[in-house]
Amino acid sequence: MKKFLVPSLIVLLVVYALCTAFIWRTMRRPPEEFARVMAKIPGPVAFLLFPFETLWTRARAGTLQAGDPAPDFSLMKLDKSESIQLSSLTARQPVVLVFGSYT
Amino acid sequence: MAFYAVYILEAHPSDVWQMESNINDKVVFASPKDFDERSMVAGACVRKLGIKFPALVDGFENSTEKAYTGWPDRIYLIDTKGRVAYKSKPGPFGFKPQELRSALEHLPETKSQLMRRGSLALPDKTQSAR
Repeated sequence: MKKFLVPSLIVLLVVYALCTAFIWRTMRRPPEEFARVMAKIPGPVAFLLFPFETLWTRARAGTLQAGDPAPDFSLMKLDKSESIQLSSLTARQPVVLVFGSYT
Repeated sequence: MAFYAVYILEAHPSDVWQMESNINDKVVFASPKDFDERSMVAGACVRKLGIKFPALVDGFENSTEKAYTGWPDRIYLIDTKGRVAYKSKPGPFGFKPQELRSALEHLPETKSQLMRRGSLALPDKTQSAR
């Protein structure tokens, strides 16, 4: 039995590293693809066995940093009353942007 | 300052990654097929959650979400020079309103308001005490 211990541990470590790499790669994919893959993994597995939050925080860091110019955009208000340009807003006052969705 | 919600692609659409908690809360929506459907779900969101500040709907090509890596949720503060003053860590873990509050208090625009008023707390009461 003992002579199988070290090789088994090595195999486990390699499998763990491969799974972590897979999770990391998936996190870097577009959200729809990430969501499709995550839906196939039983809930607790990813979160409990792997450093999910650490990986996620890095994978989704994005290129923007504090001090960078905020990418300008022009989006329609939900009530369809007008189109809002970010740069017009920030010319007058600081703007908080809350990104999200219902689900 | 102005608050705007940027409504982006769904976090847990029923046809992709359904969450049990959403079923319990009766928030079950398939991925919107176009901008109008996204607007409909956004409308339901704003109404049911009682969101008071205005919402902007990201175009269906998700260009704003991509530029800001906003999915599934995230908070940004943009200053009057058009720069990113605060960028939260990616949600859901990084979605922390208390961090935003701190960032707001540290904005130069807010600081000058504080200096002009003397303090943020109870200016009326200090007047009447005199």
